[in-house]
Amino acid sequence: MKKQWTSIALGVVTAIGGFLDAGTIATSGEAGAKFGLGLVWIVLVATVAIILLVEMVGRFTAVSKKTYAEAIREDFGFRFYLLPLASEVIAESILLAAELGGISIALSLFTGISWHILFPFVALFIWIIVWRASFNVIENGPALLGLVTLSFLAAIVALGGIPAHLLPTLWHPSFQHGTVADYLYLVAATLGATISPYMLYFYSSGAREEHWTGASLLLNRVTAIVGMSFGSMGSLALLVLAAIVLQPLNISASTLGELGIAMAKPFGIVGSLLFATVLFATCLGAALEVVLAVSYNIAQGFGWEWGENKKPAEAARFNLVMTIFLLIAVAIGLTGIDPLQLALLASTIISLFLPISLSPFLILMNDPQYLGKKTNRRFTNIAMVCILVLAFLVALVSLPLEIITGGG
Amino acid sequence: MWQKAGTCIGLLLLLSILAGCTVTESAFARTTGNAGSAFAAAMTTLAYEHEGKLTYAFAVSSFADFQSELTGTDQALLAQGAANTRTGRQLLALYTPAMQVIDAPCLSNACDWRAQDALLQRASQAFLEAGNT
Amino acid sequence: MLDPRDEVFSIRDILDSQLLTSDGRRIGRVADIEAEVRADDSLVLLYLVAGPQALAGRVNTRLRDLFRFFLRDRFDHRIPLSEVTKFGPTLHLRGNAKDYAVGQSDRWIAEHILRWIPGGR
Repeated sequence: MKKQWTSIALGVVTAIGGFLDAGTIATSGEAGAKFGLGLVWIVLVATVAIILLVEMVGRFTAVSKKTYAEAIREDFGFRFYLLPLASEVIAESILLAAELGGISIALSLFTGISWHILFPFVALFIWIIVWRASFNVIENGPALLGLVTLSFLAAIVALGGIPAHLLPTLWHPSFQHGTVADYLYLVAATLGATISPYMLYFYSSGAREEHWTGASLLLNRVTAIVGMSFGSMGSLALLVLAAIVLQPLNISASTLGELGIAMAKPFGIVGSLLFATVLFATCLGAALEVVLAVSYNIAQGFGWEWGENKKPAEAARFNLVMTIFLLIAVAIGLTGIDPLQLALLASTIISLFLPISLSPFLILMNDPQYLGKKTNRRFTNIAMVCILVLAFLVALVSLPLEIITGGG
Repeated sequence: MWQKAGTCIGLLLLLSILAGCTVTESAFARTTGNAGSAFAAAMTTLAYEHEGKLTYAFAVSSFADFQSELTGTDQALLAQGAANTRTGRQLLALYTPAMQVIDAPCLSNACDWRAQDALLQRASQAFLEAGNT
Repeated sequence: MLDPRDEVFSIRDILDSQLLTSDGRRIGRVADIEAEVRADDSLVLLYLVAGPQALAGRVNTRLRDLFRFFLRDRFDHRIPLSEVTKFGPTLHLRGNAKDYAVGQSDRWIAEHILRWIPGGR
C-alpha cells in the first residue's frame, strides 16, 4: 500500500516536470509578455488535452501490453507507420535542439559562459545519461528538481497577485505588443508544446519498462490528472509573471534569459537563479524524454531489442539510433538559432502534424482487440477530435504567416 | 464547450479586422518592434545588475543574447529603405551608440552605467514608437 | 475441409508482426512473405522475409530495386514458416536468437561499433 502511494507521488512529480520544457516555457513567456492573459484559455484547453492523452496512453499500454509504436506498425502496416515516424523525426529533432539549447542557456545564466560553447558539452552529458542510466534515474532525477517551478507561484504572490487591469485581457487580449498573426502562432505553438506526441511514445514505453498491468490504472489516472494540472499551474504562473512584469517594460520575451527578469523583480538574484534552475531541470528532463521517445519509436517500429534497463550491447541498434539522433539535434543546434525561436518553431510544426501523430492513437483507443472493455468513452473521443482539428487549422494558418513576415 | 471556443476565436478575428487591426505587420514594423523590445530588455538587465537583482554572470549571458539578436538590425532597416525617411535616419543614428553599449555594457562601478541606461532607453522608445505608427 | 484444430489467419496477422525467439529476444519484424503456388492450385506460405529490401518493397517496387542495387541481398533474410510455434501480433520462433540470420546486425554493431565507446559492453 505504501509502495503504491510512493509510486503515485513519483508519477505526479514526473508529470509536473514533464509539462514544462523549452517549448512551454517559451510559449508561456511570450504569451504573457505580448498578450497579457489573452492566451490563458488555450493553455487550459491544451491541459485538458494532455490529461486525456496521458491517461489514454497509460491505459492502452497497461491493458494491451503493447507500446504505441508497436501498435501502429502491427495494426496499420509499415507504409502507414512511416508517416507518424517521419513527422516525429522531423519535429523532435528540432525540439531536441531547442531543449539542449535551453539547458545550455540555463548553464550560461549561471556561469556567464556563452551558450554556444556549452552546447556540445550539454549534448555529451545527455548522451552519457541515456547511454548508461537506468529508466528510474532518468524519470525521477530531473523531475524532483523541477519542483522548483512552484517558486513562480510564490513570485506572483510577492508581486501582489494579478492586477485588476490585466483581468479583461483574459477574454480580450491587447494587440499592442503583437499582431493577430503572432497570436495565432502562439495558439498553435502552445498546443504543440503541450500536446507533444513524444510524451505518448515515452510514457507507453516507460509503462512497459516498469511492467504496468491493468492494476496500475489508478496510478495512471492520478498521475495524469494531478500531475499535469500542477504542471499546467507552473506554465500559467510563468505566463502571469510575464504579463505582470515584462509587458509594462515593453519586453517581449523573445529570448529565454529575459524571462529571468520576471523572477528577479520580486526575488532579486535568488529569483533569477530559481528561474535558471527551472529552465535547467525541465529542459534536461524533456531532452532525455525526447531522445528516448524517438529511439523507442524507431526500435519498436522495426522490431529491434530496446530498453534503458538493458546494457547498450544488448540493444545495439536502439542505442546506435539514440546516438545518431542526438548528433542530428546537435547539428541543428550548432546553426546558432536562438533556442526559444527553435522551441516555438518545433512546437508549431508539432501542432501541424498532430492529426498524423494522434489519429492512429484515437483509432487504437477504440479497438476492443487491444483494450477489451476499457475503450474510450464518447466524450473523450469528441474532445480529442475537436482539439486535433483546432491545432491543425491554427497551425496551417499561422505557420505560413509567420514565415512570410519573418518569424516571431 | 469546444464549439464555444471555436466561436470565440471566430468572433475575435472578426472584431480585430473590424477594429482596423492588421493581421500581420510590415517588415519594418516587425524589425523596429523586436529591436525596441530587445533594447528595453537590455536596459532593464543593466539596471537590475547594478541594483543587485541579477548576478554579473547572468547579465553577461543576457547581453550576449541581446547582441546576437540586435546585430544586423541596421542592415535590415537599410534594406527596408530606412535611409529615405526621417524616422529611419533617426533610428539608424540611435542604433550605433546603443549597439556599442550592447557590445560592451558597463557591469561594474568603474564606468557610467546610468548614461548607458539612458541611451538604451532612448533607443528603445524610438524603435517602439516607430513600430507602432 | 477445415480441421477444428486449424486456425484461420489473414496475411495481416503475420505481416509486420514481431519476431520473438525462444530465448526471449526480439530480432525484427516480418517485412514480407514468400509463397508458392503448388500443382494443385493451392497457395502455400513458405518463408517470412525480413530486411531493408523487403521493407522498401512494401513502399514501392522501384524503391526495392534501388535498395537491391546497393545492398545486393546481403541484409535480407528468410525464415521458414515451419519455425513459427505461435502466431499473433508476436510470432514465437522455435530457435534461439543465434539460430537466425535476422537480427544479427545487433551483434555486429555491438562488436564493431559500440565496443569502441566507453561503457558499450
